[in-house]
Amino acid sequence: MEALTSGMPFLVFLIIGTIAVAASILVVAMRNPVHSALFLLLTFLCVAVLFVLKAAEFVAAVQVLVYAGGIMVLFLFVVMLINVRSLPEERVMSAFWKGGLAVGLGLFILFAGVVRPGVYHEPKGNERDLRTQTTYRMRKVRNADGTVTERRVGRSRVVGNSEAIGMVLYRDYLVPFEVASLFLLVAMIGAIVIGKRELLAEEEESTPQFILDRAEKEKEVKEVVNGR
Amino acid sequence: MTYSFVPILLMILAAAILGAVFLGLNTIIGKKQRNPSKLAPYESGVPLLDESRKRVNVKFYQIAMLFILFDIEAAFLYPWAVIYRNATLTPAGISWFVFGEMLVFVLLLGIGYIYVWKKRAFDWT
Amino acid sequence: MIEVAPSTAAYLMLSATLFSIGLVGVVIRRNMITVLMSIELMLNAVNINLIAFSHRLSSLEGQIFVIFIIAIAAGEAAVGLAIIIQLYRLKSSVNVDEAKVLNG
Repeated sequence: MEALTSGMPFLVFLIIGTIAVAASILVVAMRNPVHSALFLLLTFLCVAVLFVLKAAEFVAAVQVLVYAGGIMVLFLFVVMLINVRSLPEERVMSAFWKGGLAVGLGLFILFAGVVRPGVYHEPKGNERDLRTQTTYRMRKVRNADGTVTERRVGRSRVVGNSEAIGMVLYRDYLVPFEVASLFLLVAMIGAIVIGKRELLAEEEESTPQFILDRAEKEKEVKEVVNGR
Repeated sequence: MTYSFVPILLMILAAAILGAVFLGLNTIIGKKQRNPSKLAPYESGVPLLDESRKRVNVKFYQIAMLFILFDIEAAFLYPWAVIYRNATLTPAGISWFVFGEMLVFVLLLGIGYIYVWKKRAFDWT
Repeated sequence: MIEVAPSTAAYLMLSATLFSIGLVGVVIRRNMITVLMSIELMLNAVNINLIAFSHRLSSLEGQIFVIFIIAIAAGEAAVGLAIIIQLYRLKSSVNVDEAKVLNG
């Protein structure tokens, strides 16, 4: 039983990793963007599981909250807004898809060459360190010669992953944290400015004129072809 | 530590098996009849008002976009809330430091909130 | 109990695979929304890499980086999709080939 459960993380990695790779291939290969978005959602969830396997529970939760809960909804709304299904059938790939595949394959071979066998193989990580919180405080220490000096004394204790992250994030990464809020502010203003240009309500809801035009044109072409 | 997630795994498995069993039994045992009202989205006979694949309003996008940005704010609040109780136990300087940095963060996003409000992005009509 | 955890190398290979797939998607797809999705895929591959090394080095900094990357990815998706909507209004199409001139 123990032999069975001890291999379980690796088994989970194999299954989830395979699903993630398959889903990401389908993201790229699907013609309909709605299907792409749903497979992207599957990939995100699989990646969250992979985070959990590497002792990053808080990041996994953020991944599900922000990526699966927020970004996917945004993607789906935009797909619905644009409603690509009503567009005429077009080529999915660009003209130089062979070159793109070659570049991807070359990059993968490059990466695989960097991960040489035997270099990063044994999992050496100490998971306790990822859940340890160190607090420092000044403490008066009596030296050997009788003088009293203040010294920084660290005290470590094992806590949860999110508590450890909070301690590092709000102590050592103060400036990036505030810059992140500034970034979010800029993104908010930018997206409102770019996104909020009024269109008439009828235009928003009905079939665009150009699609009707294109359908008309195709009909004419078909009639001409059939007529011959 | 990863073992504390085994119940979740078991629950996912149970959900998948239960769904498969129900659907499987339905297709094996169930009576198959295909008529237009059976295939309609609302079998009870409510007539459809419109098709489902029409374009949605751009307002939905705006709300979703604002939701994401404030979602990030909430995600940053979690670890802060977890450490705040401990930070208040340590010397006074640290607790004010932790409080102050979150105050700056929330204020900066509050400016964005007011901007969005003034731009009437929350108004539906 | 000893856990046989997946090695760092396995994570790196998975991350390389996802990154390459995302890159291929960015280069070959013509639909702009799918291109943006492929970019998210590449960001996720990078996140996997950072988490794997955070675990290997027993340091939380990788996880902090991932949180910031997720925040920035959200902003990028919001602004990027807003640009796509504007382009769609302008060109009535979401193909990357249509957007080859900078002045509307």
